[in-house]
This record gives sequence, structure tokens and C-alpha cells, in this order.
Amino acid sequence: METTQEPAFDAAALAETLGALDDAHLDALPFGVIGFDAQGVVRRYNATESNYAGLAIDRVIGQPVFTVVAPCMNNFMVAQRFEDAAEQNQPLDATIDYVLTLRMKPVKVKLRLLAVPGAPLRHVIVNRRP
Amino acid sequence: MTHTAEEFEALIQFLYLAPVGLVQIAPDGQIILINPISAQLLMPLSRDGGLENLFTALEGVAPDLAHRAGAFAPDYGMVCEEMKIQIKAGVPGKSGAQVLSLSLLKLDRQRMMAVLRDVTQEIQRDLLLRQNEAWLNAILTGITDYAIARLDRDGRVDDWNESIGHLTGLDRDAVVGQPYSIFYPDDAITPERTADRLREAEASGWSMDECWRTRADGSRFWGSAIIAPLRHRTEPAGPVPLDDGAQGGPAFCLVIRDITEKRDASEKFRQAATCDHLTGIANRRAFFEAAELELERWRRAPRPLALILFDADNFKRINDTHGHPVGDAVLRHLATTLAGTFRQVDVVARVGGEEFAVLLPSTDLPSALAVAERVRRKIAATCVEVNGERIAYTVSGGVALMDAGMAGLDDLLKRADAALYGAKAAGRNCIESALAA
Repeated sequence: METTQEPAFDAAALAETLGALDDAHLDALPFGVIGFDAQGVVRRYNATESNYAGLAIDRVIGQPVFTVVAPCMNNFMVAQRFEDAAEQNQPLDATIDYVLTLRMKPVKVKLRLLAVPGAPLRHVIVNRRP
Repeated sequence: MTHTAEEFEALIQFLYLAPVGLVQIAPDGQIILINPISAQLLMPLSRDGGLENLFTALEGVAPDLAHRAGAFAPDYGMVCEEMKIQIKAGVPGKSGAQVLSLSLLKLDRQRMMAVLRDVTQEIQRDLLLRQNEAWLNAILTGITDYAIARLDRDGRVDDWNESIGHLTGLDRDAVVGQPYSIFYPDDAITPERTADRLREAEASGWSMDECWRTRADGSRFWGSAIIAPLRHRTEPAGPVPLDDGAQGGPAFCLVIRDITEKRDASEKFRQAATCDHLTGIANRRAFFEAAELELERWRRAPRPLALILFDADNFKRINDTHGHPVGDAVLRHLATTLAGTFRQVDVVARVGGEEFAVLLPSTDLPSALAVAERVRRKIAATCVEVNGERIAYTVSGGVALMDAGMAGLDDLLKRADAALYGAKAAGRNCIESALAA
């Protein structure tokens, strides 16, 4: 495999780039990646996010994202936006300040919410804020 | 060792999945440990995108929390149990109201544990239950002290009954032919509310309320009143003949009961749930409940409905310069002034840190502006005395009127808030009104 340029958290068309990355490259990214399907089931979960959360990747893959993996995002600020985008068949690319409860500590993060109509996976990208 | 790591991970996941919010805080509210459901519930309330302090996160909706926690002297115990916090009013038919329940347990001098739950649905069920209970209270409990009156279809007392004189001390001439609002203190009911209750009784079979009432000799009692229609419409739905009941004659039955003793017994409990801990006036949740009810009436029979938001000017500076006890005294003074200025039928509540709301049924914009201005002047002309110090402060106010273009309470609040912002921008110590959209 040729060396891939590592995409930045705020790169354009990040969702497409992530789709093309294999697991090893996804794990090497400096930010957390959660990819889930239209039913909200987690299909991709990278090592960075696994490390943030303290949960092994195989504990998370196959689980519903907003009820089991990231219940803290199950509100109108995050989950609702994915639902609205899907309902209106619109793309979603929004970056918000949020607080995750990683290992029960409040951690300031930037979340990038990505959805492309017709794409197999939607993504929440997690970057720690200073 | 891997065994331990796995156990740790399972424990972490157990906390991730706990269906209630759990937060461990320091005495000043600083968040030490927090689980995901807490973040789910609290993040929409955060004003700065952070979650560092629980009291700060909840300040907009439970402004007296830090005070409650600070005032709790024992080293261990419940600071508050299942305190209901109204998050938003919701828009009828669109988005629902939301209510959180908060319990705060002091573990020791260094730590408190908060439990948060979304109890919106339980609250709705509970409201129904309470209505049923109030109804049962009204009809079943010790009927020794009651007055019964027949009302015509406009709510005027139709006939004399000795029980009326016995309970209220009024005589026949003062009562017969008068609207039933004579059984209320002047400031506890409006002509529109009088009509509302008849309509509600007609629609649901009964309407009841409880409030302070005055006897002819000036003494007062806590009275429950229930109105029930005498004839139930059994005719199939269709146009009602125009002359129906126009001849007069009794259309409703009104029963008033003195339940002062019963109220005394439940008052402490009632106050804890509906009153702001610091100021003693209605809290945010009680305000939303009363305002929603008034808005429902407004929808059925539109009439002027005004909202005033008051905000103590430069309150942070008062706190910073003179300390929190003085700030608290200022808030208490403002609350007392408001409670002493408005009518019993108005809803006066503390809805935020230094923000107070007053809902005025059957009040137009000029009248609301006038009374808001009276409050402003009264505050500007008095000083609060705390420990020998005399503190002068001012308030700004925003006034808005409900209109058909607004979806609900949230919109009305937003408009009053915009007016309040205008008053602040205009230099404070003034009242502004919102222009109709």
C-alpha cells in the first residue's frame, strides 16, 4: 500500500478520506474516529478513541453508538443532528465544542459531525481541546 | 494483571452505561467525576461549552443550588432529594417540555454526589395524578365547613344559601346576582379567569382551584373551590340552540371549602417543591407550570397576557464588591418587593441567578409597563441594609405581550429577554418593551 497523507481533523472531505483508510492508518490518526451505519451501529472505532475512552475496540464494534458507546452525545446537539440530516437527505459537516466524560473525567473536545447522503458510514471525529 | 485491567474496563463500561447521571463534585461545585448521561443532560445547558462546575452548569435553571449546598451544615446527608428542575417549556405539538430531577448527597466535607434523571414523562403522569387527588380532596374530605352556591351560565350567584353566610360572613344582598369572583380577593382573579373556569367546568365536568380567600370580617382562610356544570350536555354534537339557558336559571354549582388546616399540614412540603430556596418566592419550575396553564387558557380565549423579566443591574459587581451574603440579601429584597407589588393572580418567580419573571394575566402592555416602572422606581429609591451596610441597587426590566404569532412560552420569554437586553443596552435602571413581531 502506498503511503497515505495523514488527514487533519479539519480537512475538507474528511469523511471520504476516512472511508479509504485501512484500520492501521485509522488507528494511527491523532484524533478519535467513530464510524456508524444508518442504524446507528458502530462499524469503525479507532485506537485513539479506544484509548481516550478506556474501552477496547471489540467491546464497541457492533454496539449502538448513541445508547451504548457514546450516550453522552444522545441529545439534540449531536444525535439529533444526524437524524435531521438523514431525514432531510442533507450532508452534515459541523464542528462543535463539547465535553466528553472519558473515563468519567470531563474532557473538553471538539466534535466534528460528518454525514454524507448515501454514504455507508457517518462519523463523529473527536479532538481534545487544550 | 490482565484480569484487573479487564475488570477495570468492565467497570468503566458499567458507568458509561448507567441510565442515570452521576456526578461527583467538590463543595464549590467543581466536577471531579462525571458519567456520560450527565453530559448528555447537562451539555445543552452549558453556556461556555464546558462542564467544569455543576453549579455553574445548572445556574440558569437552578440558581439556588450553590446556596442550598453552602447552607447545608451537616457533614453527611441529602442536600436536596429529587429536586425538579424545569429545563424548557416546550412548544405544544412540536417539542416537549423537559424536567430534570436532581438529588445531591453530601458524602463528607470534600465531596458531594449528584444524581440526575430526565423525569419529563414521570412529571406528566404525576400532574394527572395530582389533579385527580385535588379533585378527591375537594369532594371527599370532612365536609363540615363549606359553602354551596348555584351559579347562572355567566357565573353569577343565582340563589341564596345559608352555608354561604356561614363560611364567608357575607349576607344575601352582597352575594345574590354578583359574579362568583366575589368569593376571591380582588387581586386573585380577573373577569377573564372567571370565564375560563366556567369554560373548563363545561368542558371537563369540573374546575377547581385553591387560594387565600377573605371573609367579610377581613380574616382569611385557604379555600378550595370546585365548579361543576349542573346539566350535562347529552345531546349529540351539533349546533347549540341560541336560546339555550338564556332564560337564566342555575347552570353551575360552586362549592367552596375551608381547608386551611389541611394546607398548613402540606405547606412545608409544597414550599420545598415550588419555592426558591433563597428568596421564598416561586421557583422556575412552579413558574413554568403556572405559565403553561395560563397559556392554555390564552389559546382558548385570547386576551392580553403580559410577561415581565426583571434583572438586578450589575449584580456580579455587587457580589464581587460586597460578598455573596450581600448579593443574597439584594435578591431577597428584590423578591420581596416583587411579591409585594404584584397581584395574587400574577405569577412572580425567580427563574435565573438574578433574573425574575412575572406573568400578568389579563394585562395589556401599557399596564404591564406601568407596574414594571413602579417596581423599578421603588427599587431605585430604597437601600438594602446588610450588617449595617446600606446597599443601593437598580433593576432593569423587559416587557413582552403574548400574541398569536408566538409558538409558546419559550417565544414569549425570548421576546421579553430581548426587551430586557435592550434595557441593559440603554444604560440599565430602565424598562423596555418588546415590539410585536
